[in-house]
Amino acid sequence: MSSQNYSYNPSGQQASAPVTAESGRSVEYTCGDCDASVQLKRGEPIRCRNCGHRVLYKQRTNRMVQFEAR
Amino acid sequence: MPPKKPQAQAHAPRGAKATASGSKPAEPTSRIEIVDGVDGEIEHPQVEYAGDAATAQEPAAAEHPKRRRAAPEKPKDEFAALLEPFYYGKSLTDPINTAEDKWNLLPAFLKTKGLVKQHVDSYNHFVDVGLRKIIQANQIVRSDVDAKFVLKYTDIRVEQPNRVDEEDLDHHKSSITPNECRLRDMTYAAPIVVDIIYTRGGTRVKRTGVKIGRMPVMLKSNKCVLAGKSDREMAVMDECPLDPGGYFITRGQEKVILVQEQLNKNRVIVESAKGIMQASVTSSTHERRTKTYVIQKKGLMFLRHNTLSEEVPIVFALKALGVLSDKEIMLMIAGDDEAYQDNFSVNFEACAKEKIYTQEKALEYIGHRVRLTKKPMGASRMRNYHLEATECLSNVILPHVPVVGANFRPKALYVAYMARRVVMAMQDPSLVDDRDYVGNKRLELAGQMLALLFEDCFKRFNHDFKMSIDKVLKKQNRAQEFDAFLHFSNHKSHITLGVERAIATGNWNLKRFKMERAGVTHVLSRLSFVAALGMMTRITSQFEKTRKVSGPRAIQASQFGMLCPADTPEGEACGLVKNLALMTHITTEDEEDPVRKIVFGLGAEDINSYTGEGLHTGGVYQVFLNGTPIAITYGPKRFLNSFRQLRRMGRISEFTSIHINHDYKTMQISTDEGRICRPLIVVENGRPKVTARYLKALRRGNMDFEGFLSRGLVEYLDVNEENDSNIAIYESDINQHTTHLEIEPFTLLGAVAGLIPYPHHNQSPRNTYQCAMGKQAIGAIAYNQFQRMDTLLYLMVYPQKPMVKTRTIELIKYDKLPAGQAATVAVMSFSGYDIEDALVLNKASCDRGFGRCQVLKKSAQQLKTYANNTKDLINAAAIDTKEKRHMELGVDGIAQVGARLEQGSVYMLKSTPLDTQSSRQPVLYKETPVTYKLTDCSYVDKVCITENESSGMTTIKTLLRQTRRPELGDKFSSRHGQKGVVGLISPQEDMPFNDQGICPDIIMNPHGFPSRMTVGKMMELLSGKAGVLDGSLQYGTAFGGSKVEDMADLLLKHGFSYSGKDYLTSGITGEALQFYVFFGPIYYQKLKHMVQDKMHSRARGPRAILTRQPTEGRARDGGLRLGEMERDCLIAYGASQLLLERLMLSSDAHNVDVCGRCGQMGYHGYCQMCGDDQEVRQLTMPYAAKLLIQELGAMNIKVVLGLEDEFPAEA
Repeated sequence: MSSQNYSYNPSGQQASAPVTAESGRSVEYTCGDCDASVQLKRGEPIRCRNCGHRVLYKQRTNRMVQFEAR
Repeated sequence: MPPKKPQAQAHAPRGAKATASGSKPAEPTSRIEIVDGVDGEIEHPQVEYAGDAATAQEPAAAEHPKRRRAAPEKPKDEFAALLEPFYYGKSLTDPINTAEDKWNLLPAFLKTKGLVKQHVDSYNHFVDVGLRKIIQANQIVRSDVDAKFVLKYTDIRVEQPNRVDEEDLDHHKSSITPNECRLRDMTYAAPIVVDIIYTRGGTRVKRTGVKIGRMPVMLKSNKCVLAGKSDREMAVMDECPLDPGGYFITRGQEKVILVQEQLNKNRVIVESAKGIMQASVTSSTHERRTKTYVIQKKGLMFLRHNTLSEEVPIVFALKALGVLSDKEIMLMIAGDDEAYQDNFSVNFEACAKEKIYTQEKALEYIGHRVRLTKKPMGASRMRNYHLEATECLSNVILPHVPVVGANFRPKALYVAYMARRVVMAMQDPSLVDDRDYVGNKRLELAGQMLALLFEDCFKRFNHDFKMSIDKVLKKQNRAQEFDAFLHFSNHKSHITLGVERAIATGNWNLKRFKMERAGVTHVLSRLSFVAALGMMTRITSQFEKTRKVSGPRAIQASQFGMLCPADTPEGEACGLVKNLALMTHITTEDEEDPVRKIVFGLGAEDINSYTGEGLHTGGVYQVFLNGTPIAITYGPKRFLNSFRQLRRMGRISEFTSIHINHDYKTMQISTDEGRICRPLIVVENGRPKVTARYLKALRRGNMDFEGFLSRGLVEYLDVNEENDSNIAIYESDINQHTTHLEIEPFTLLGAVAGLIPYPHHNQSPRNTYQCAMGKQAIGAIAYNQFQRMDTLLYLMVYPQKPMVKTRTIELIKYDKLPAGQAATVAVMSFSGYDIEDALVLNKASCDRGFGRCQVLKKSAQQLKTYANNTKDLINAAAIDTKEKRHMELGVDGIAQVGARLEQGSVYMLKSTPLDTQSSRQPVLYKETPVTYKLTDCSYVDKVCITENESSGMTTIKTLLRQTRRPELGDKFSSRHGQKGVVGLISPQEDMPFNDQGICPDIIMNPHGFPSRMTVGKMMELLSGKAGVLDGSLQYGTAFGGSKVEDMADLLLKHGFSYSGKDYLTSGITGEALQFYVFFGPIYYQKLKHMVQDKMHSRARGPRAILTRQPTEGRARDGGLRLGEMERDCLIAYGASQLLLERLMLSSDAHNVDVCGRCGQMGYHGYCQMCGDDQEVRQLTMPYAAKLLIQELGAMNIKVVLGLEDEFPAEA
């Protein structure tokens, strides 16, 4: 059956590529309970070191954000 | 209030760390005691009857010291003060007028009970009392193998909610909060622990606090961490103090067990259909649920039951039940009434026909007709008919009437009573019962549903436990002493999962009662605060959804004050889904025994000591307790009054009801659960017992609602008892017959209908429409709305509280979480863009923020762990800094908070392993980036990273925010069922304005009024306008509220026309408008239906794989369907070419090669059937048609296509 242009593919999926794990780079998150900042590396359990809370939020970007006020 | 313990919070992290180190022994929680050689009874945990004695104490005396103590130590919580019962506009020193101020009882009622008291009460009752009853009914587990082994449950408790990983910690106070469960997709549950005594070897071992599973905890129930917390503490826990509670959180979802409406249990209902008169009873006990009928067919009366293979003549049934003489039977059923006797006497002919005169014979007759449930063991088919009949009569037929020893008298009386009801209804058809009467209904709540479920799970738990110990006990030689406890904990996941799954999916499957109900639970709608509240008061009907009859859907007079007359959906479920009124309470079960004692204490005599003659003599009334006759009394009126007196004194539970039925000469006392009732003020000697003195005490805080109850000033009446009472609506209506006084008439409406100002001036369907729309209004949802992560959240940017409010609005605190804005409305025509209810919006108003809302969408990604231990991961290394779609990503591969996402932007760089089955190394990954699909941009509002409790998988939730201003086609509505879409957004300079330069926010077409008759809306405008000028908030409470005349006076005082009409100047021409315009503020709600979410168009696009036709729906970029009816139009018009184009060429045209000879499809111009290409022609047909032919072929149906020339050559 020729089904070349019948099924719609929104995003061209790339083939596999082994991941070069970039460890060492840590990202800061904020604890949802005590507001402490938590440095997390990849693979680390998600947990606040201060209070043990397991909900972390990503910190706001420090890039400039422009809003369209209308 | 007990002093708060902030230190408990501080301890929590230390305890939590202990979990991480996690080196605790397996069973630290249960203490072990050896009870040496106790052979006798083990004490049962006494289920305390929640006594009258406690409530009977003088509340004033008890309260005084409490108040004095509380005052200094309670920290000044100014915020909480806002939520105290409030008596708006009245200060402490204002004079009290009982007639007007008795409504102060209402906030007091809601303060003690809360808005969803029915759910919370039911759950509390289940957890505190129901669970104990269940383990008492299933107390002992024995082994089939070892007769010496016994395990006995002595107590059961539900502990404080905690996390699953804290289960094994001892003396640890969990810091869990409901919001954490929501965020982490956990179940908010608490461990269920039991105390057991069992045999180990020769000794009896006692263990306490053994965990058998986890019970989901209802929010704000007494087990919940939110119970009794102040607003400040609630805020610390990220919880909204205005949230009603009463729902569960399972797997992160808020689930409500809706109230279910059912027909009365254990009561006789008489019905007639097609010449058959029948009395039926649905008996419901812990063991059994069956239905028994007494039917009158062709003049003869029979007993019918599922276990009887045919109907048994009623006389035989009564004889079998030990009523031997025909005269006694006659007297029991017909009494001394000759008409009844004539009607009934034919039934005795059956005795002569079947030659059955003795109990012996009757039992044999019934025994022959008992259906055997169990197959008889072995080949011996010897049946003991006698025994079977006795067994059946005592346990299966009418099981709710207990047979103690061999005393069948109560059961005989019950059957006779059913028969009597049938005989009476034959004589007087008006005695046929009404199934739709609210008094004949019971509401099933969360507690009862959970009790059913838990009992089922608990039985299975015991069964599995028994099986596993049997397996071990079967072995003769064991290496070590057998300890059944080791097997005990193995099965606790049954209970945990069973209950959790049922609540999460809403499927209640109970084998025992053959119950398979789907859709018992629903996700709590958080579209708006009212939507959530409305959901908590909703009642669904369990029976007859499809029947076309109007009976169950119609409004019932008896639902006055109990169920809201306005709040019901339109369409399919109209009238079947109902809502509770504001003051309704649903009873929980009360103990029968104390009531029985009181009945006999009041001089009623045991019914069993009376013959049929004594039962039906004049002036004798039978006393029924929960539908079963227990006693008779000679002085019914006196009995009734003293019983009520005792209840008012608090000697009997306030929810016990008693009513008298003069038709049947019965007195019905009910203590069962699920009755709908409401409080009313007691009136004695033409005077209401609530006086100004008590109201003053209430306002000062010296008295609460409980105080009013225990002093007998206010009492609860259920529907049946309400029917017995003379209730005055206003104090002025009281006469010498009045027994009760309404607290406030507006409480007959529910919480949602209570938002409507002046609903008593609207046409009733308009109020119903508003009830549906109020739930779709965008506004504030809860104080913790920004801490939540809902899949879809609509928020209004600048919500305002209504200018014209109602008492209900204040009571449910809608004014603290409003959903709408006060718009200045001009009722006039403006351009042609306002026809058909369209609204004209002022552009400047939109610029200022009118109707502006935010839409927050959550997208959750789980990093899954697969079978071969490979995991999804966030591949931050794949960020391509030059790729435009990756611009918004942070260094961790997740979008930055605050970043703007356009269509196609990647907001998470996820990779999934290619191979999830084998454990091949190295693991190869496939990039599966998560992209943003919508056409309109969003901002990343929040990114939450958390770990799932059970699976340990990482969940990343991204909250995307859009801010929307009103646009053409957005839907708005006032509070009077008047919805409309925006037809035009007009620049302010074109809008009309008045002398003061006030410009309308909305222009509404006056054609909306005449046919809709929403006078309430006009009154809202008038009161709102007066309030604006006066600087006050006006009331539009139902059956009350600010008077139009007063409003007109206020308007006049401020130099406006009393009619609310203004002189306006046209903004376009600058000339005065030739007419006065009705002009003023009306509260407008923005509804969730917005053009942006619905706008859709497509030229070419995706097609379905199977049929090759365009896909369906906006989400799949689907085509716009030319449907059947449109097709019909084109056929009728004869537009054949258009049809061909729409239905084939633009849809699924397909070229096929058809052989003209055999009519089959070939390919490449060759026919496989004929083996040549001579007659093969190419033609175009819809792919769906080709598919159909082939599918029929697959079913062995040959389809032949006949070809002919379109333009045949002239012969």
